[in-house]
Amino acid sequence: MNNWDRLVWNQREALLAGLQVTIEVCLISFAAAIVGGMVLCLLRMYVKPVRPIAIVLIEFFRATPILVQLLWVNYVWPELFGWPNTFFAAACTALAVQSSGYLAETFRAGIEAIPKGQREAAYSVGMSPALTFRRIVLPQVLLSSAPSIINQFTVIVKSSTLVSVITVQDLMFQSQKIVNIAYEPIEILTATAAMYIGFIFIVSMAGKLLADRLRRSYGIGSRLPT
Amino acid sequence: MIRVVDVHKRFGTLDVLKGVSFDVHRGNVLSMIGASGSGKSTLLRCINYLETPTSGDIFIDGESIGYRGDGSRPRRPRPLAEINRIRRDLGIVFQQFNLWPHMTVLGNVVEAPIRVRGMSRKEAEAIAEACLRRVRLLEKAHEYPARLSGGQQQRVAIARALAMQPKVMLFDEATSSLDPELTDEVLAVMRDLANDGTTMIVVTHEMAFARDVSDRVMFLHNGLVEEDGPAAQIFGAPKSERLRQFISKHVHA
Repeated sequence: MNNWDRLVWNQREALLAGLQVTIEVCLISFAAAIVGGMVLCLLRMYVKPVRPIAIVLIEFFRATPILVQLLWVNYVWPELFGWPNTFFAAACTALAVQSSGYLAETFRAGIEAIPKGQREAAYSVGMSPALTFRRIVLPQVLLSSAPSIINQFTVIVKSSTLVSVITVQDLMFQSQKIVNIAYEPIEILTATAAMYIGFIFIVSMAGKLLADRLRRSYGIGSRLPT
Repeated sequence: MIRVVDVHKRFGTLDVLKGVSFDVHRGNVLSMIGASGSGKSTLLRCINYLETPTSGDIFIDGESIGYRGDGSRPRRPRPLAEINRIRRDLGIVFQQFNLWPHMTVLGNVVEAPIRVRGMSRKEAEAIAEACLRRVRLLEKAHEYPARLSGGQQQRVAIARALAMQPKVMLFDEATSSLDPELTDEVLAVMRDLANDGTTMIVVTHEMAFARDVSDRVMFLHNGLVEEDGPAAQIFGAPKSERLRQFISKHVHA
């Protein structure tokens, strides 16, 4: 029996269980980061009274290392807010919070890049600002920021390798456990790296293909013309 | 039908409009001409409150756009939601078309009837098809704007405004960003609308259009109406020296 069979194939159940946790953590954080980033961005841009708070939050989220963020959310938030109550939720929250700071700025750049005329055309046919945002601005912003959004997903996946410090049993955790038992890191770490690459590749390719297809059907290049 | 009363507009220290008043009656076409910087585009944008006038008032069918008509003194400015409701009656066509690039031609035209008027998709599409037929672009209904020429895009923008069945159509230099060979198709559509009795206010540099199509022409200079009268009189017998110079520079008959 060679090392690959012994260390990787025979441990596949543990690794796949870890991969499943990684996928769950990443997809949940990613979705939450998009929503959270959009909320922060809108508060910053359009809600005057809370604008300073939004800016502080965005800068704070962006400037904190992910390891600090994980420990902080896990140990401090329950004291402050009584939540999160599971390690899994804490991991998702920490990852989401960090990325939402970055995405908030991405979305702001995207919104500011939409020409004023796009909104004026909507107002002039009687659309409200909220409706205009949802129907006219948001779809264009999501499309134009698609590359940055996808990039942020790869950041989340890579940051997620640290969630084991708060005992979430992700792929990295399982892989290190096997390494620590067997003392033979080569095959197991190589396989782990391959699994991360595969996961990132599949998701970012899917995102890119979707964005490209939309652009092609609109007949536009990488940026929306006006 | 449209009454503009003593509209002023100031941007910072710059007085763009210094008190403009006029009326447009139903079915009439008013053209506004003047050098760039004379305030004509600002005036048009004030009419549907894309710019809020610094002072003055605009009435459509007797109803003030900017202020509540509840008799309170001083009059209370309308909240945005009410301005939005009144805006539906004022279609505007922009110099830059401003079509929404992520929607098809048909999508652009049905958007407001569905989302603002609350029509069913079927109803809205029937109206949209009629509007697209009027601008002779029905066959492009399922294209995206980026695949159309500038002239075609502008005709779609006209159809989009028409689909809300506005009482008045405003044109803000609708042909100024088009190549010369594309302006004709847009002007032809505008002529058709005028002949069908559409009430129109047109800011334009197309003197031939202003002369042939408008019932009245207004010449703006430095934020004031310098001269105002029937097209024949403005172009045939201008009174003011400035208008005379402007016409001799712009009309090559």
